[in-house]
Amino acid sequence: MNTVGIPRSLFYYYYGNIWEDFFTALKINYIVSPITNKEIMDRGIKTSNSEMCLSLKNYLGHVDYLKDKCDYILVPRISNFKNSNQTCTNFWAAYDIVKNIFNINILHYNIDLEKGQTLKKGLYKIGKALNKSSPQIKRAYKYAIIKHKKQVKKNHQINQNKLKVKKTKILIVGHPYNVYDELIGKDIIKYLLKNNIEIIYSDKFDSKITNPLSKEISKDLYFKYSKDNLGAIAYTRKKINGIIFISSFPCGPDSLANELAMRKIKKPYLNLVIDDNSSFTGLETRLESFLDMLGGKLND
Amino acid sequence: MKDCYLGVDIGSISTKGVIIDDENKIITKAYIWTEGNPTNAVRKLLDILKKHLPKNCQIKGIGTTGSARKLIGLMLKASVVKNEITAHAIGTLTFYPDVRTILEIGGQDSKIILIKNGIITNYAMNTLCAAGTGSFLSSQAKRLGIKVEEFGDYALKSKNPVKIAARCTVFAESDLVHKAQVGYPKEDIIAGLCKSVVLNYLNNVGKGKKIIGPVIFQGGVSKNKGVVKYFKEILNEDIIVDENSHLMGAIGIAVLAKKHKTGHTYSLEMKNIKFQTKAFECHRCPNSCELLKIYRNNELVDSWGSKCGKY
Repeated sequence: MNTVGIPRSLFYYYYGNIWEDFFTALKINYIVSPITNKEIMDRGIKTSNSEMCLSLKNYLGHVDYLKDKCDYILVPRISNFKNSNQTCTNFWAAYDIVKNIFNINILHYNIDLEKGQTLKKGLYKIGKALNKSSPQIKRAYKYAIIKHKKQVKKNHQINQNKLKVKKTKILIVGHPYNVYDELIGKDIIKYLLKNNIEIIYSDKFDSKITNPLSKEISKDLYFKYSKDNLGAIAYTRKKINGIIFISSFPCGPDSLANELAMRKIKKPYLNLVIDDNSSFTGLETRLESFLDMLGGKLND
Repeated sequence: MKDCYLGVDIGSISTKGVIIDDENKIITKAYIWTEGNPTNAVRKLLDILKKHLPKNCQIKGIGTTGSARKLIGLMLKASVVKNEITAHAIGTLTFYPDVRTILEIGGQDSKIILIKNGIITNYAMNTLCAAGTGSFLSSQAKRLGIKVEEFGDYALKSKNPVKIAARCTVFAESDLVHKAQVGYPKEDIIAGLCKSVVLNYLNNVGKGKKIIGPVIFQGGVSKNKGVVKYFKEILNEDIIVDENSHLMGAIGIAVLAKKHKTGHTYSLEMKNIKFQTKAFECHRCPNSCELLKIYRNNELVDSWGSKCGKY
């Protein structure tokens, strides 16, 4: 029986739940690569070009890990969501890069709403490629998408509730594949939790609400995920104490979004750029002083 | 007996120590190079401080700051261990309660702190890149064959500073070599370097920040008159450089130590204390954490670097 490999990086943090539910409903075997560890990251750095961003290197590390453990690897191309909602070039290029570097079978679909290529069509294509019938795929798709929509609603509600808590609240702005990755953003999150901070994640808001709000900060931005992030800042700015912007080195869209947010939002603001330097010391200095500033400890 | 408090700031390039009394007056101070060995530097530092400490003084609190603050904090059993941004702000506010902007350039870090009514409103610190900091200046001084302490005097002599790429140290260095080979005089190149440090700082940590006077410039690089001159020129603001501007972090942490005194009396005698660190890589899981174990008198006091918390 065929096994599909899902790299736990980039797309996984947006579509992982849908894929897993879809494959489960279709009774297709799948494996997800493990939580990032040093070995996976090193594999990625070895296989990738030095100019690629840390997150893409990490992604390639996960693909490298999976390459001999499954029959197919799922690599979509997410291009745009219409209405000037582009994704970053890595999301366009991941499929071609993987195809060129690795000698493996790839399950592939496009999301390009400008050309009418939707997630639904994509998942149908994948189902067909794995020899499933249309009614089966239809059922599985429905199951996955309903569950996903419920999850989005739930996440949004959790964030809403967090905004009402009477603790120091920090909005973490960043791409989920950086923020939740064990080697990229996890240490920052752990440090904040240890210091009794209420963390609100920008990506957990419903992007239908946050995306249009990005207009308050910039009208010309055209990166979908940056718009979501800036929208989350606009949405929460009156209810939070500070903002931490986490990005990986050298992220193009983030460098723009970060500048915009830093200049237009008058809130305590910290920008952390993560590369593969393994020591936490530098980050700790910045986080500690940021929390000192928020807590007013300097002045007691 | 008079109570006094020790503040130690262990930076990447230099190690600073001050002892202050209850009125925040400096009793004795010291400034030496770290030379890549923080524990040794602190031993030397304490020897110097001890020599100048009056007999009737007793140390009632110790604070550490700077990039080696945790390590030295364990070694000295410090009562306060704090990051250098907080320490610098507190030190400066003690002497200049009206300050609005603090510019700081150290060996490896550069930061800007904005203050309003004695409250920090925002700050920024250099991110991954250490371009345009003290370590760059000292390595370039070596390349040009002069002491980094004389850098400022050379720069002031120049009337026509050369243009040097301010974005990246690697580019700056190739620019600099090129200019030297073409035949520009030394002082013009040095002045160009000082100017590029200022431009780099303002484009990097200073970008998007509104710099309002009074402006105070501190950290080791503030002792460089050339850099001060170009800050004044470019910002069009008067720049205050305190006589102890390079010690502000140490003063700040000493002030904090005074606030957090425990009643314990500390000794500056370090000869009998054996302080060791052992580094190794753990291979129990694919993370391969780099671990550091710290021993004080052969007793394990702490270990760092573990992701899983096993050590």
